Amino acid sequence: MATATGIYHRTYSSELRLRSTRAELFRLGLMVVLLVVLPFVLDNYWLSIVNTILIAVIGAVGLNILVGYTGQISLGQGGFLAVGAYSSALLSERMGMPVPLAIAFAVVFTAVIGTFFGLPGLRLKGLYLAIATLASQQIIEFIIRRWGWLTEGRGYITLDRLNVLGWTLPRESFEQSWYWILLVLAAIAVMAARNLFRTGLGRSFMAVRDQDIAAEAIGINLTRAKLTAFAVSSGFVGLAGALTAHYTETVTWEAFTLNVSIMYLAMIIVGGLGSIAGAVYGAVFMSLLPVLIRELADVVGPAAPWLSAQLPAIQNAIFGLVIILFLIIEPRGLNRLWERAKEYIRFWPFRY
Amino acid sequence: MKSTGRGAFVASLAALALGLSACGSDNGDGGGGGDAGGDSGEPIKVGMIADLTGATGDVGAPYNEGMLAYVDWRNENGGVADREIEAISNDYAYEVPQAEQLYKQYLNDGVVAVQGWGTGDTEALHTKVADDELPFMSGSFAESLTDPEEAPYNFVVAPTYSDQMRVALNWIAEDSGGGAEVAVFHHDSPFGQAPVADGEAWVSEEGLDLGYQAYAMPGGQQNYVGLLSQAQSQGAEYIVIQNVASPAAQVAKDIAAQNLDMKIVCLNWCGNELFIDTAGADVAEGHMLVQPFAPITSEKAGHEEMTAYLEEQGEDPASKGTSWVQGWMVMHVMAEGMEKAAEDGEITGPAIREALETMGAIDTGGVIGEGNIEFSADSHRGSTSTGIYTAEGGEMVEVEAGATP
Repeated sequence: MATATGIYHRTYSSELRLRSTRAELFRLGLMVVLLVVLPFVLDNYWLSIVNTILIAVIGAVGLNILVGYTGQISLGQGGFLAVGAYSSALLSERMGMPVPLAIAFAVVFTAVIGTFFGLPGLRLKGLYLAIATLASQQIIEFIIRRWGWLTEGRGYITLDRLNVLGWTLPRESFEQSWYWILLVLAAIAVMAARNLFRTGLGRSFMAVRDQDIAAEAIGINLTRAKLTAFAVSSGFVGLAGALTAHYTETVTWEAFTLNVSIMYLAMIIVGGLGSIAGAVYGAVFMSLLPVLIRELADVVGPAAPWLSAQLPAIQNAIFGLVIILFLIIEPRGLNRLWERAKEYIRFWPFRY
Repeated sequence: MKSTGRGAFVASLAALALGLSACGSDNGDGGGGGDAGGDSGEPIKVGMIADLTGATGDVGAPYNEGMLAYVDWRNENGGVADREIEAISNDYAYEVPQAEQLYKQYLNDGVVAVQGWGTGDTEALHTKVADDELPFMSGSFAESLTDPEEAPYNFVVAPTYSDQMRVALNWIAEDSGGGAEVAVFHHDSPFGQAPVADGEAWVSEEGLDLGYQAYAMPGGQQNYVGLLSQAQSQGAEYIVIQNVASPAAQVAKDIAAQNLDMKIVCLNWCGNELFIDTAGADVAEGHMLVQPFAPITSEKAGHEEMTAYLEEQGEDPASKGTSWVQGWMVMHVMAEGMEKAAEDGEITGPAIREALETMGAIDTGGVIGEGNIEFSADSHRGSTSTGIYTAEGGEMVEVEAGATP
C-alpha cells in the first residue's frame, strides 16, 4: 500500500488535505465502518462506556490544546467541566432554555471563565502556573459546593431527559441515541482542533510553547495567544462538561473534583502531549483501563479473591504505574507508539 | 474518477448503516430494567454498589459484608420463592462516576433491584432508577429520598438523618434543661449536609431553647482542635456529629486531650461500636449514640437468625457492629419485598415496589427502632423511631428504645 517513495503534492488542494495517501484513507474508512457498526454490536453497558469515552475525547482534546500545544499546564480541568455542566444545567432546567442553546451558552461561558483564570498565565510559567490553575479548581469547587442557590440547597441538580426541538430521547434507545449525538460532536471537536493547528492562530500557540521569548520577537502577541488558548481550550472543556450534565442527567460537585483534573492530564500524557490523535487515544485508553481491570478481576475473581477485594487500590496503582512507564519509555505517548509501529511496517524489512 | 469512487464509498456506508439499524431495531429494547424477571429457578439478580475502600469504607465494608451474609443465609434457607438471590457486589470507593458506571453494568446484567450506599450516588441515581423501574435502597437516609413524588423507586429503611437529628435535639433539650449551645459537625458532602438545615428548622419549629451552629469537617485533618475551638467560642456543650466513625472518634480524642466539657451526640454512621473502639473506651465514655439499628449484643428477637448464622460460620457475633446488622436488615427488607412480589406474580422492579408499598409492616424483631418497617404509596419513610445509646465501659448501653421526634 505504501510503496511510494514519498508524497509529492502537485496541487494546492492536495497539499491542504488532512489525509493524502491511500493507506491513510483506507484506515479512515475502516475507522468509520467500526464507529458505525459499534452501537449495533455492543450492549448497553459497553455502549455507555463508549459514550463516556466520547465525552472524555472532547475534554482531552480541549486540555491538549492548552497543555500540549500552548505549553500552559492546567490543573483546573475538573473546575472548567463543572462550569460547563452547571451553566448548561441551570440555563436549561431553571430558565427553560432549549438544550442546544443552553449547551452553546455553556461553551461560551466556560470560555470566558477559562480566560479569566488564564490571566495568571501571563505572568506565571510551569509549576507556578500549575499552582495558579489548581487555585481555579479549588475556587470553582468551593463555589459549586457552597453556593446553595445553584442547586436550590439540595446539593445536586436533576435534569430532564434530553429534549431537542420537541423530540425527547426515547428510553429504549437511550445509549444508542446519545452515541450518535456524542459521536458527531466528538468528530466535529476533533476536526476543529486538528484544523486549528493549521492556522496562524494555532501555530502561534505552538510558538509560545516552544520558546515564548522567540515567539514574541517574531511578532506574536503573547497576551493574546495565551488568553485565546485558554478560551479555546475551556470552550471544548465546557462542551464536555455540558454534555456530561445532559448525558448523566444529574449534576453534583462530586463528579468534578481534582481527581478529574488529574485523570485528564494523565489522558493527554499517556496519549501524547501536543497531538490531537494522542488526546483521543489517551481518552480511550485511560477510560477503558479501570473497566478492563474490573473485567479481569471478575474473570480471575474466584482464583484470586484478594484482587476483587482490593480493586480500587489496584486500579490506582496501575494508573500510577502506567503514567510512570509512559514517561520513561515513551514520553510522547500512544500517538508516537502508533507512528513508530506504522513506520516499522512501512520500512520492513529495512530499519529505516 | 476519484470523486465517484468516494461517492460510492459513502453510499455503501450509508446502505450499511441503514441495514444495521434495521437489524438493531429488533433487539434494541435491552435497556428496560423491569423485564428481567426471568423464569422460576433462575437466580434473582441484585446489584450492590458498595464502599469497601473509599472515604466511608470503615462502615461501608461491614455493611456490605452484612448484606452478603444475609444473601448467603437466605439462600441456605430456601431463598426467595425457591429461587436463589444472586448478589453482584462491587466496590465503588465512594466515587459517584464509578457508581454510575456500576449501575449501568447492573442494569445491563438484568438485576431486579439495586442496593446502593452513599447519599451522593443515591441522589445521582434516583432519577435513573425511576426511569428503569428498579427499587433502590441504600445506606443513605436523606430526607429527600422518602418522597415518592421525588424519588419513586427509592426506599429508606430507617429513620432519616433529619429524624435522627430531631431525636438528638429533643434529647439534648431535655438533658440540658434548656439554654444549651449545640454545634453540628458534619461530613463535607451531601451526606453530611443532609440533616443540617432540617435540624435548624426543628429548633425553631419546636421552640427548643437551643443555640444551633453547623460546621463542615474538612477532610484529611490530623485533628479537629481548630474546629473545636470554634465550637468553644460558640459556647457549645453538645456536639452532634454527622460523619463516619473514625473522624468522630478523633473529635472525641481531641475533646479528651483538650479537657473540654463537651458531650458528643453521634448520628447513625458514627453511633456505633467502631466509634467507641477507635476512640477507646475511656475517651468514649458518656458520649451519646443515636442508632436506629440495635447492636447484636442487645439480643433482640431479630438478632437470633444473625447470631445463629454467625455461629454456624464459626464467627463471634459480638465482633459484628451495627453497620453489619444494618446491611443484613436492609437486605432483609428488600428480600421480603421480593417474596411478596413473587406471591403476587413475578419478581420485577415495579412488582417489588408495589409489594413494598402495599404489604404492610415488615417485622424486624425489634432491630430497627420500634421494630416495624412500613412503606406506603405516599411515603417511603420506613420508620421514624430510633434507639438512643450511651457509651459505657466500651459498650453501647441502651438509654431509650424507639425514640421518635
